[in-house]
Formats: sequence, structure tokens, C-alpha cells
Amino acid sequence: MELYLAALGFGLISVSVIAVAAVGFTMQFGITNMINLAYGEVMIVCAYVAYFFNQKGVSVWAALLAAALAGSVLSFLLNRLLYSPFQRKGTNLIGMVIISLAASLMLANVLLAIVGYGSAAYEVDQGFLLRWNGLVLTAAQIAVIGVAVVLMLAIHALLRYTRLGKAMRATAANPTLARNCGIPTQRVIDLVWLITGALCGVAGVVAGMNSENFTVASGASYLITIIAAAVLGGAGQPYGAMIGALVIGIVTELSAAAIAPEYKEVVAFAILVLVMVLRPQGLLAKRGALAAAG
Amino acid sequence: MNRLRTTLSLVGLALILTACGGGSSTSATGLGSGPLLVGVLAPFSGADASFGPRYLAGCYAAALSIDGAGGIGGRQVSCQQFDTKGEPADAVPAANAMIAGNSDLMGVVGCTSDEASTVVPILDRSHVPMFCMTGQSEFNKSTAKYFHRLVPADSFDAYAMIGSALFGPNHAPYKKVALVFGDDIGSQTFVGPAVAALNKLGVTVAINQAIHLGAASYRTEVAKMLQTHPDVILTETIGSAGTYMKEVKQQNGGKVIPFIGTSATIDPVWFKQVVDAIGLQDFLANYTAVDLKLTLQGPGYDEFVTQLTAADAKYSGSAALTYKGKSPTVHLYDGIIMTALAMVAANSADPTVYNPKIIDIANGVSGAVVVNTFKDGVAALKAGKAIRFVGAAGENNFNQYNNSQQGYNLVTMDKDGNEVVIGQLTEAQTQQIIDAGGGV
Repeated sequence: MELYLAALGFGLISVSVIAVAAVGFTMQFGITNMINLAYGEVMIVCAYVAYFFNQKGVSVWAALLAAALAGSVLSFLLNRLLYSPFQRKGTNLIGMVIISLAASLMLANVLLAIVGYGSAAYEVDQGFLLRWNGLVLTAAQIAVIGVAVVLMLAIHALLRYTRLGKAMRATAANPTLARNCGIPTQRVIDLVWLITGALCGVAGVVAGMNSENFTVASGASYLITIIAAAVLGGAGQPYGAMIGALVIGIVTELSAAAIAPEYKEVVAFAILVLVMVLRPQGLLAKRGALAAAG
Repeated sequence: MNRLRTTLSLVGLALILTACGGGSSTSATGLGSGPLLVGVLAPFSGADASFGPRYLAGCYAAALSIDGAGGIGGRQVSCQQFDTKGEPADAVPAANAMIAGNSDLMGVVGCTSDEASTVVPILDRSHVPMFCMTGQSEFNKSTAKYFHRLVPADSFDAYAMIGSALFGPNHAPYKKVALVFGDDIGSQTFVGPAVAALNKLGVTVAINQAIHLGAASYRTEVAKMLQTHPDVILTETIGSAGTYMKEVKQQNGGKVIPFIGTSATIDPVWFKQVVDAIGLQDFLANYTAVDLKLTLQGPGYDEFVTQLTAADAKYSGSAALTYKGKSPTVHLYDGIIMTALAMVAANSADPTVYNPKIIDIANGVSGAVVVNTFKDGVAALKAGKAIRFVGAAGENNFNQYNNSQQGYNLVTMDKDGNEVVIGQLTEAQTQQIIDAGGGV
């Protein structure tokens, strides 16, 4: 029983990391109609930006802000310079996925040339240890959970209570109608890339802290879990991504406790497949914040 | 019309074959002219991206040694990387492109466990001599004539780790062992022989964990492992060892359990990852590993270090000197020198002629004189003598399956990540474990 309680607690850290990343990813898809497979690589670029500052003696928590900024700028540029021109030409969704895959490979290889294949690890003061029934959490891990909670509440507030949030929801529901109603959809889309890019940057750093080490290759492995959480919750639905992250994070840890650990991801993906069979639109499709108003 | 089409096809085919001839000339006898190439077919990107550069460093050093001694019959040697990305699906086109585009290919090094199963048959069919860095058991009795392996089978590594747990210095024999390996096929080849040997030798397997390499965390796995209270962890977990060991330390009240690594863990990237995670003092106090019985001294090793230093200066960014004393770099350096000497001995650039000579050069034939460098080897061959190459890693002893075994050292690493020998397994100890594990 002690092991399961510990697994549940450990799962909360995984949930936090996945949620921050998956919400950014799914918002990009929901509002800009772009399945951005370069998301994992942008995360790693941002993780290295924070690592650069951290190596210079800057606290990882301050470096987190630099990573968020880097994520915003990189994502914005990626969209403006690469994705938007193709979307304007009418490239279909599959074509855009391939383009994002190419962007992912380019980013990974450029980064590899700059930072090399070695691993990086942040200098983090782990602070006090919280021990309870086999669960061991450091202050830094509790802070990661706190960062995720704050960001999720901020996204909720943004989507529900601000004009920009309403404009995002309108753009997601019907961009042509939104434009005709006077909503500057291009500016909204730019802001979406900036905001989700910041989430992506934060996600890169907390994922790097969670793993203790990261390399250029880590981006690809992060992306699989992020997509799984986003799809499970309902593609394009931020609240769905939060629930998807919760299910994937908790289930993987509990299954590692219950059965052989090599099957923990298999179990998570089996649940994903089951949900897709029973509810192909995902857990929250058409009910989340980006669904049509009313 | 059909005849015209056939004629054009034949002309096209002839042109392609001519083009494939490239800029070099070879024949069954004579070393030909033009530059020669060694292909480094290995992961340079992806999760195992750290493998390729260490092999490339060995190739650079070997090429400089050969070229500095006048080349192979005057032919200069260069090295080129071919990225397999650590994936069989990427390795096959990389291997095919390497063979198709380089008629001057004298040999290949690399071919790790990530891709060996798919590329070895391709290279063998194309008569390309290769030195592969795979421990997969399927090559224990390989029938591929052009395949050579200077590293041990993974099962040997597993036996040596058990030897370290039972007979290693500075500790009483460990009685309760945790096995923590990746869930990939390559990593799991350690587990079967290890479990069999441990059971027969009366050592308790506290837990046998196959973890998913590259996972974001292993907190629950570590909690589960700690509940079994092992004395020692036998592990490899390339790419994930830092994450796992950090969580061990964190959940175990700041204490690290002693851990024994495979020969693959004696690696600068692995070292940095684990040291970053648990701190240098805990690493030095708790880590040991097993490695091949490399001599790492003598004129062969001195020449290797000289050329590696030159390579480090010549190829900026290669960080070649980082790999000084690292067994993969040393072994592949030796492999390339042996191949070059085999070409000189056979007086041929035709691999069907010089490939069998590689074993003769490595094992030596009756009356062979020992040489330690390419230069000395060429001089001896020109003097009409048979030679045995004892290179940077020491003696080689290939069996009928082109596998060379040299016994094991028990090692650790110093604060700079350099390998330090702390003991050896006797033949009797090694045999006891191999017998318990059911052989190789």
C-alpha cells in the first residue's frame, strides 16, 4: 500500500510536467490548426537556454523566465517564417505535419551542432525533503507542482475572463467568422504562438529538472507523452489536456508499482487506445474552453 | 524498338558501373592508387549519439598513424561518418549509400548493437571488412566472414559484473543483487546469463528491473527496488543512469547503493551524467565497472596516444583526446591498423584477398614477429617477415567466429573520468561464473 501511495505522489510531479507541455501543444492545434511536431525540440532548445544561464550562476527559477521568453520568440518565428507561409498557400494538415517534422529535425541537428551529444543537468537547490508513507518529494519538486498549478489557473483565467481569451475561442471555433466580426485573427494567432511558446519553454525546463539530465534527443521522447495527453483529453482542448496529463501521469506511476516497469507506458497507451475506440473525439472534445461559445 | 531500349539499358548500366568505379583503382594484386576510406557507421544523432564520435576519434588516430608512415602503398586514408541514428531503419539506407558511393571503402567500424543485426549482412555481402561494437549474442558464433569483434559478448560482461560483485576488492562478497537494465533487446541480453549464474552461485536476485530507457523519471521503480534492500545494483541504463541513480540517492536518505556497471558505462558521457546526478564523491565511493583486459601501455598504446593527440589538434571539435584510454576508441584504432597491415601483407586492395589476412595479422602465424605500430609492421613485411600486431589494446586472439577475447579487469573511474584498474578476475573465477551461467 505504501508503494501505491508513493506512486500516486510521484505521479503528481509527472502530471505537472506533462500538463504544462500538453496544454501549450493542444492550444497551438486548437487555435491555429497546427500539429506542431517541433514542439519537443523547442522544449529542449529552451531547456538549454535555461541551462546556459544556470551554468553562469543564475538560479534555475530565474532561468525559467529566460526559457519562457526563448520559447515565445522561437515559436513565434517558427510560425511566422515557416508554418504561416505554407498555411497561406493552402497546404493541407498532413503537409503541415511533415513540415513541422522537418522543422523538428532541423532544430535538433542545429542544437546538436551547438551543444553536442552530452547530457546537461541543472544546478538546483533541492531544499527540504517531504517524507510521507514512502513518498519522498523535495522542495524543488513541490515547486514544480506549484508552477504547474499557477500556470493552469492562469490559462483558465485567460480563456474564461479576458477579451483575448474570448478572441482565441472565437478564432478556434470559426476563424473566418471571427475575422468578419472584427477580431484581428492574425494578431490573435501571433499571441497564441507567443503564449504557448512560453508554456513550451517552461515545460522544457521543468521536464529537464524532472529527468535530472537531458540531451538533445530528449525532445522526441517528451513529445510522445505530450501528444498522448493532448489526444486523450481531446485534441485542441486545454482542459482536456490537463485531464489527459492527469490520467497518463498517474496511470504510468501506478502501473510501475503494480506490474513490471517496462509496461508502464504500454498501460498508458492502452488506455489511450481504449478511449479512442470508445470516444474518438477524446475525453473533453466540444466541451472545453476552445469549443464554440454557447 | 525493344532492341534499342535494351541497348540503351546496357549502355546506362555500363555507365553506372564505370561511375561506381570512382577515382581509385584496385585489382586483386597490387595496392592500387588514390585515397582510401574508412566508414564510421554508427549513431551520431539520436539517443546513442555519443557512440559515433568515440569511434570517429579512433579512426582519425589510425588514419594519421597510417598516413604518417606513408599510407597503404602510398594511399592515404581518411575517415567519414555515416549516421545510423541508432535505428535499424536509418542504418540500412546509410550502409547502402556508404557502399554505393565509395568504391574506395577499405573497411567499416562502428556497427553497434543498435544496428548490427541489419547492417552486418549488408556489409558482409558487399565484402567490406568490419569491426563492430556489438555485444549481441547472435554474433557469438557469427558466420559472416567480414565481421570482426574485439569487444566481448554481452553475456561475458554480465559474468564479469558478477565476478566483480563476488570477488571484487574493497568489499565483502555481495549477497543480494538488484539487476537494473534497459528494456531493449541489447540491454536484456545481460540479464538471462546473469540471473542463471547468480542463482547457481547462491546469490539472491533481489529484483530484476527492466526499465524503459529515456523515461522522464523512475521514482516508483526506485521505490520498488529500495523495498528489496539490495547490497549492490548491477546496471547499464545508458542515457538514464543519472535519472535513476539520483532518485536512488534521494529516496534512500541521501545514500547511494554501490553500483557495478558494464564496460559500456566507462564512457565520458555516462560519467558526466551520473556525476551530475549524484555528485562526484558519491560516484567515486560507489561505482565500479568491468572492462576488457586492456594493457594501455607499451609502444602500441604510446603511438595511439600520439596520434590521438594529433587528431585532437587537427580535427577541432572532435574532442579526440577525451577518448584516450577508452576501450571502443582503442579497439577500433587497432582494428583499422590491422586492416591496413592486412592489405600491405596481401599486397592487395581487394577485400576478398586481404580480409583473411586480418586474423593472421592479429593472432600471428608461426614465426611471426611482434609489431606495435603500422610503420613497424610495414617495415617487417617489406623485410619478408610474418607479423603479429599487438596494438594499443594489447594482444588479440580471434576464434573461428572472428570474436577476440582478452579477459577482464575490474575498474573504476577517477575524478576526471579516467579509467583506473582496481583488480582482475582470475581465469578460475571467470570460468566458475561462466559455468554457473551456462556458458557463452
